[in-house]
Amino acid sequence: MTDGWPWVGVLAVLPLAVAAASLLPMDLERLRRVSVTAALLMLLATLAVAWAPWLPAMPPVRTPGGDVLFRVDALSSLLLPFASALWLLTVAVTPRAALDRHGLRRTAVATLATLASFLTQSAVLLFVLWIVSVWTFLSALSGPAHQRQRRVVAAYLGASSVLLGAGIALTFAPLTQGTRLETVGLWLIVVAALVRKGIFPFHAWVPEVFDHGRLGPAILFSAPQLGAYVTVVLIVPRASPDLLRLVAVLALGTAVYGAALALVQTSARRACGYLFMSQSALVMAGLDCTSPSALAGGFALWLSAGLAFAGLARVVLVLEARRGRLDLSTYHGGYERMPVLAASFLALGLACTGFPGTLGFAGQELLVGGAVDVFPVLGFAVVVASALTGLAVLRMYFALFCGRPDGPAGATAHLGLTRREALTFAALLTALIGLGIAPRPVIDSAFEASDAILSQRQAPATIGRVEAGPEP
Amino acid sequence: MTSIFPVEMLLVVGIGAPAMLLIVLGGTSLANRPLPERWTGRLAAGSMTASFAALVVALVLLPTGPGAAHVSYGAWSTSHDGGIAIEFLLDATSLGFAVLATAIAGVVAAFSNRYLHREPGYNRYFVLFAMFVTGILFVALAGNVEVLFAGWEFVGLSSALLVAFFHGRAGPVGNALRVFAVYRISDAAMLAAAVWLHHVAGSGSLSMLFGESGTVPQTGLAGADATIIAVLLIVAVAGKSALLPFSGWLPRAMEGPTPSSAVYYGALSIHAGCILLLRATPLLEQVLAARLLAGGIGAATALFATVTTRVQSDVKSSLAYASLTQVGIIIVEIALGLRAIAFLHLVGHACFRLLQFLSAPNVLHDLHGLEDAIGVSPAHGGRPAPVAAPRVHRRLFLFALERGFLDAMLDRVFVTPFHRIASAFDRFDRLQCDVVASRTVTAEDTIHDD
Repeated sequence: MTDGWPWVGVLAVLPLAVAAASLLPMDLERLRRVSVTAALLMLLATLAVAWAPWLPAMPPVRTPGGDVLFRVDALSSLLLPFASALWLLTVAVTPRAALDRHGLRRTAVATLATLASFLTQSAVLLFVLWIVSVWTFLSALSGPAHQRQRRVVAAYLGASSVLLGAGIALTFAPLTQGTRLETVGLWLIVVAALVRKGIFPFHAWVPEVFDHGRLGPAILFSAPQLGAYVTVVLIVPRASPDLLRLVAVLALGTAVYGAALALVQTSARRACGYLFMSQSALVMAGLDCTSPSALAGGFALWLSAGLAFAGLARVVLVLEARRGRLDLSTYHGGYERMPVLAASFLALGLACTGFPGTLGFAGQELLVGGAVDVFPVLGFAVVVASALTGLAVLRMYFALFCGRPDGPAGATAHLGLTRREALTFAALLTALIGLGIAPRPVIDSAFEASDAILSQRQAPATIGRVEAGPEP
Repeated sequence: MTSIFPVEMLLVVGIGAPAMLLIVLGGTSLANRPLPERWTGRLAAGSMTASFAALVVALVLLPTGPGAAHVSYGAWSTSHDGGIAIEFLLDATSLGFAVLATAIAGVVAAFSNRYLHREPGYNRYFVLFAMFVTGILFVALAGNVEVLFAGWEFVGLSSALLVAFFHGRAGPVGNALRVFAVYRISDAAMLAAAVWLHHVAGSGSLSMLFGESGTVPQTGLAGADATIIAVLLIVAVAGKSALLPFSGWLPRAMEGPTPSSAVYYGALSIHAGCILLLRATPLLEQVLAARLLAGGIGAATALFATVTTRVQSDVKSSLAYASLTQVGIIIVEIALGLRAIAFLHLVGHACFRLLQFLSAPNVLHDLHGLEDAIGVSPAHGGRPAPVAAPRVHRRLFLFALERGFLDAMLDRVFVTPFHRIASAFDRFDRLQCDVVASRTVTAEDTIHDD
């Protein structure tokens, strides 16, 4: 073999093997062990693909027409291990009560779709994978208890899928090149990405799904941020600065909006939904600021906030498995019975907000610097959002783990983590803090990726110009 | 400047020792393998001693002369415009405060080791204590805004979590959240100042704010930019040092264990703002409006605190407001440009107040014993003479008793409107889903709007 693509092929085989194993009459815990092993192997393989110097170069895989179908570049080097880590986190920490055969299969298929998405720049293939991921998410909400959420998701994400399909058709069809239809197409793609990312005013489905839908599938669907990837691959290289500014302003507003609403929630799940909205909007703002620093900061934040948030929401799931639905309007106590879970929640929450010593800090510093360079006033929305999310996380921590005595002395009910859960959270925190103390590998790759993307932008942008007012 | 290689190495030890303590204690706690008390106590004592010794030697070896020595440990994170470096700016003031901080931290670590013996949160306390010492050293010695901000955040988080140290009760937890809310305002102001500095100067080096080497330090800023950054710094300082209008959190912070109250609100944390302003004197001297603002806030805080401390019914709150009185005066001294006096005042006050805080439990214990023995309160000295007309006296008393109505004012001006607006938006979001799902909103779906 002259290139490293067989390695990537192995990556595809792993989730497929799990999906196939789920069809066999296998014990559920055993199937989980198979899934965890596959996810772990995939994580190691993606790390090797991304950073191992001994692997041969991987030239792009092209269609018969000569278009690039798959490639491994700086951006995908960052995102492949990220997608694998999300899969590992999902299968390792899903509580026993929420574990089911279909769920493990769905998770494997969704991961495969995410992985393939992060390897391609083909608009058509991205659209197909987008549909696959929406379909897997909808199928997770097929139970009678989630009919309302299914309808909401179908409405929002169905609309976004239609818009994406129409947008790609108009933007990339040979007949529309250079016409106004191309501009219309790009606008449709932008709206599709905004809906999928939960950017104001297209955001209402996110807290609803987190609150009353199934939290596990919602995390796996949202955390990879396929909407951000579509933005990077399809929108940023083509859109005019004015269009990107408009998206960035909406994203900055959403970051503050989500953080503010997270602060007043009485449901832990809904608060998680708004927290995710806020952090994900910060990523979007970074991607649309057209500054190398902001873009690189956005990439770093994408990884750190995605992983930290997925971990945080998993802690909520684990806690729910022990206590039932979590209400933030009262104190629950319990720290002394589950100190590691409590500390993990706090550490992951702070990592989510870019606390110093975590990877998010470097990302946020770059992002806020880049954002203020582009928007001298509105860029401070990042500062406000950061302050509010930190407060929201601490409020959740206090409500969920403090404020009430831990019962009579001698109470020994086991509420702590299982060994597998503890190991997973410890590994996640080690990665987030380790890369926070030494962030250069990630930041260097993020800058490499941002340079590559910005170099794709045509010098005078021709698509999607809007009449924007003077800079705020 | 001659080579400062030994100072660089000493700084690694000085700051690295508490940082390593944080990593070791935090790591073992997260792994659910907390160290035994004996080991924790020894590690804390060892790291504080090492840090103190290294910083003292660094202070002695620091080349004399005006200006500050710039120490960089290279790029921590890269970017096209230079990235983020780990940098420190050393002068007699910053290193002097760092030496004071480690000395006080060593004393408090030794005191806490006994005071919290067999307390369930013993290990948690020392994790947060190590985070605090690391943070305050960053604040004291920072050479760029990123290091300063990291230290600022460490101090704030550890402070809030120590206020909630007795987290089995709702009171400390609620108060900790209030404290943290004010700290977040302070953090946001600090971050905004840092970002604006980056934006206008293209660099986060604090030498832009604290002045370059030379006989008369000058900042690299001018005009409106200097004013904006100075005002943001003053807001950050006001939040962290409990100056007006943010003083309401101070009595709430007394919920924590006595050693943490001593080190935070008697000795170090409450002076963090002072040391920051002291280092930023060149900027203040350049911006008259900022000096007037700082002086005005300092004087008002001193007056407010000296009135309030006289009616507090618990010793820790009384001491905290007494501290605040002195902090206000120190800020006035800084605003007047009296750097040396302000620094000496700060050092003396920190040591004196630390002693008062740490001895307060023993004094109370002794007084209670004496009271039991003689049947009356030995502290009873009769009613003080009125300081004003009875009506004014009553109003002043009420004002002091209610601590200036600051919490109520902040609630009315910020918290309640914020909650109301956010809740309205939340209801709107739910309504959108109801419309999409063809269902009307129900009572149980709406969140409480209190």
